[in-house]
Amino acid sequence: MTMNQDNHTPTMMPTDNRPRNMGKSLDDNTSRLDAIAKVTGKAKYGKDHYFANGLYARLVRCPYGAATLTSYEEENASNVPGVVEVTIDGDKGRYHGHSVGYVVAETELALRRGMRALDCKWKKSGAIKTSIADTIDDVPAVTADNQALLNKADHVLNASYSTSIQTHSSAETHGVSIEHKGDHAVIHASTQGTFATRDGLERSIGLPRSAFEVNCEYVGGGFGSKLGFGKESHIAAQISDRYKRPVHLFVDRAEEHLDTGNRPGSTTHVSVGFNNDGTLVGGQIRTFGLTGVANRGGGVSVPSRRYTLGKIDKQHRDVQTNGGAPRAFRAPGSPQGAFVEELMLDEIATRANIDPLALRLKLETNGDRKEMFALGAETIGWTDRHATGKQTGTIRRGFGLGSASWGRFPARAEADIVINQDGSVECITGSQDIGTGQRTVMAVVAAHVIGVPLQQVAVRIGNSRYPASPGSGGSMTVHNTEPAMREAAEQVRAKLLDHVAASVGGDASEFDIVDGVIRRNGSSIASFNEACGAIAANGLTGHGSWDQREMRNDPTTGHSHGVQFADLHVDTETGIIRVNRIVAIQSCGKVICRKTAESQILGGVIQGLSYALFENKIHDPQLGAMLNPNLESYKIAGTADIPHIEPILWTKNQTGTRSLGEPPTIPTSGAIACAVFNAIGVPVRQLPLTPDLVLKALEGGAG
Amino acid sequence: MNRFAIAQPHTLDEASTMLQDKRYTLPVLKAGGIDLLDHMKEGLSEPDVLIDVKSLRSSNEAQPNITKTEHGFRIEGCTTLSELAASPELSEMGTVLAQAADDAATPQIRNVATVAGNLMQRPRCWYYRAQQYDCLKKGGHTCYAVDGENKFHAIFGEGPCHIVHPSNLAPAFYALSANIHVTGGDREMLHNTDLYHMPKDDFRTEHNLQPGEVITHITCKAAIHTAFYSIKEKQSFDWPLVFAGVNLQMDEGKIRRAQVCAGGVAPIHWPLKRVEFALRGVNPNDDAALRSACAIAAEQTQPMSQNAYKLTLLPVAIRRAVRKAAHLDVEDLTS
Repeated sequence: MTMNQDNHTPTMMPTDNRPRNMGKSLDDNTSRLDAIAKVTGKAKYGKDHYFANGLYARLVRCPYGAATLTSYEEENASNVPGVVEVTIDGDKGRYHGHSVGYVVAETELALRRGMRALDCKWKKSGAIKTSIADTIDDVPAVTADNQALLNKADHVLNASYSTSIQTHSSAETHGVSIEHKGDHAVIHASTQGTFATRDGLERSIGLPRSAFEVNCEYVGGGFGSKLGFGKESHIAAQISDRYKRPVHLFVDRAEEHLDTGNRPGSTTHVSVGFNNDGTLVGGQIRTFGLTGVANRGGGVSVPSRRYTLGKIDKQHRDVQTNGGAPRAFRAPGSPQGAFVEELMLDEIATRANIDPLALRLKLETNGDRKEMFALGAETIGWTDRHATGKQTGTIRRGFGLGSASWGRFPARAEADIVINQDGSVECITGSQDIGTGQRTVMAVVAAHVIGVPLQQVAVRIGNSRYPASPGSGGSMTVHNTEPAMREAAEQVRAKLLDHVAASVGGDASEFDIVDGVIRRNGSSIASFNEACGAIAANGLTGHGSWDQREMRNDPTTGHSHGVQFADLHVDTETGIIRVNRIVAIQSCGKVICRKTAESQILGGVIQGLSYALFENKIHDPQLGAMLNPNLESYKIAGTADIPHIEPILWTKNQTGTRSLGEPPTIPTSGAIACAVFNAIGVPVRQLPLTPDLVLKALEGGAG
Repeated sequence: MNRFAIAQPHTLDEASTMLQDKRYTLPVLKAGGIDLLDHMKEGLSEPDVLIDVKSLRSSNEAQPNITKTEHGFRIEGCTTLSELAASPELSEMGTVLAQAADDAATPQIRNVATVAGNLMQRPRCWYYRAQQYDCLKKGGHTCYAVDGENKFHAIFGEGPCHIVHPSNLAPAFYALSANIHVTGGDREMLHNTDLYHMPKDDFRTEHNLQPGEVITHITCKAAIHTAFYSIKEKQSFDWPLVFAGVNLQMDEGKIRRAQVCAGGVAPIHWPLKRVEFALRGVNPNDDAALRSACAIAAEQTQPMSQNAYKLTLLPVAIRRAVRKAAHLDVEDLTS
């Protein structure tokens, strides 16, 4: 169908640069409906909500990896004009950013002054652990059983791989602005879970569910770190309940790095046996996750089960350090694991003298991905690839590849659509849009099913008063809300056609709606708006309900698949890597809105590239503080670092809607690491692939 | 952030007087305000008065911020990095300076950051920048970089503080034999190599300006064979790992005299006299000779636990800068 662009959306994006997946979506070119509002600042995020008579709160945090709060000037702080409350409820800091209390004040300035006057004195206490090596300093021994297996193989690869801690670095920091009005409240939260926040607030805000609503109309990113009910919301809710006043509590950029979650660092030791023909007999894999003060969440998804690796004995252990706890981060555990698995396979391919692509095709367990590998190889120009280690010269080119798979997480979703007497359409569901394009997708589905132009559809999302639908995690939002919205649209469309049939006579099956025109047996009889003029003043309502939770235990249903290819250059004198191009092929079921779908792929690739080359939360081994809690020395890929990215939406045999948010960030770091290995002939087994590590590898030591 | 006043002097002399006004506890000059704001936000500096010198020039005569003089250039202290980078005169006869300016920070920062501010900015050492570390510069007794995270620290100098000086422009000014002109003290100017001192002389500060001295303008040579080269992890907004500015006097295809200065490797901009000497008589097209002259740069270094890779980078940065200065192609990722 053709979508008209209204004046508030950007111009159409040309489609001729994307020939491989043209015209396979419900809507090819609609830009995000909120794009202009977001870039002009018209969109109000949670943090943008300030209220008269509001209070401001800020957490008191430990500045070191392990320290005791030895003194603080509570009276001085309380005496600062405008300071309302000082609460210190602990004196042990176990990581930089660990909160032990908070200050509440009438203004942000008073808050800052109160924090200063509090003058916390901390004393370093206890040993500091910042790395896995602080606890595990030996490579785990190969067990007798595993050694027996390895003895049967022609060759054994023994290698250790490690990855850095990556922080989510959401554009909008964590926090909440609570509009408390005494007996009721509106909570403007920056969250991936409108309903999780609602459920959590019941324990904190002292109001019945009927007396408050959670509003998440715009959310500035989360990547998994804003699932569930956060600490910031809990504290702000308690304060607003105590004073029956509005409260604004948002963390700053440093706190965002320190205490809102991360992708945990990892170390993986592999001892894998393989034969001359490239088959793997299996072996031993030991993974370690760097989980900060948490004792879980550090899993490394290797083996991924995407490849036949033989009989693998895998064990995992989480290692505690003096750092903030991990939180779910866009495909938790998967980029870490894919980096290890892909580079390991490339090392095996090189030693067995087999093309890495041929090895993938040999070991690949999924037919779709095999076809994707072939398409990707053709698109990237795999035949231009030199054999690993065969290049000389200062600048060397490398090609690499990787793959991803992601399941479908079934959940419940409800949606309503209202057709009003004036012809306007409202589609309503509670799930938030954290930057993914959910708002646009909902409108496209409603407009497409009903048969009206997109600009006729208003979207109401991100509010706990709306029909319940899932949090934005596990890439589950679209594939659960889309069927509900579709059902609502089909229902309300049928009601309207029934109404038309009743008023002009005839059977509803003779009528349909195309591009805002009511047709009878193919001939136009009235505009959509005219038809709506005859319905009741309250309009017509459709309701959709989707519950596929019973599918949860069926791992074969509705997987998304992807492969990526990287083409890059390495400057062997400086160790600098410049990625030229990434081809990213991804399936996600039927594509609803192609531009937003491609945008998800671009974002996933960029985040994966940034992880591969730059991102690293660095802790001082002496006092345990994070040394780069900013966006200057915590390095994230900028525009000049981002290559040409070619997203290809895989349309073959696709039914229904499937996951898309997470899988595109899984293969990128592995593909880049493989390409660097291909270029320079030695593997760099540690992320990020910074120049010092590349030079070290070139000078003789692997990784 | 504490309360502070903003003073707006009419001349740099007046600014100098304000700097010495005893009514103020910590008067600070503000030009672009980039580094100053960083300091105030982190609680590293709490000035009670900001003396706004952003648009103050060395004289009242109406002339551009960058002017050609008989021997070279005169550049006002308040010239922005953007102006340097876009100057047609500099692009021809002061390339090293234009390239150094263009390489720094981001377009937004370059639009406000000034020449004098670039020279006077404080180091980026993450122990210095973190309020909770009482490092030497902040009155403590330890340089935490020694036993800590020192990937970005110095490979020259005996300490006790191991910062690298962050100014992109300083090596470029060395290459052009620049003089730093000041007002408010008992001298009119100092040579660029006298602007900073090593930590062993005073690790609390980096510069040698006397109390009340204010940079007014810089004078430097014009030269045809100059270039700047930096090696950065990121290509968008990043502090270079190592950078170099060079000026060559060429004579029948050979280097007659070279001025070579590195950045990112020492607590001050770091002239490499032995490399300069070794480059004499070298034809930049003679790759073996050029490499062996540049390799001298990595001698007599004192790398720390995590920064020995800079020994590899330093000769590369110099060699590439020399080739650029000699108007030869450089084989790198931009080519």
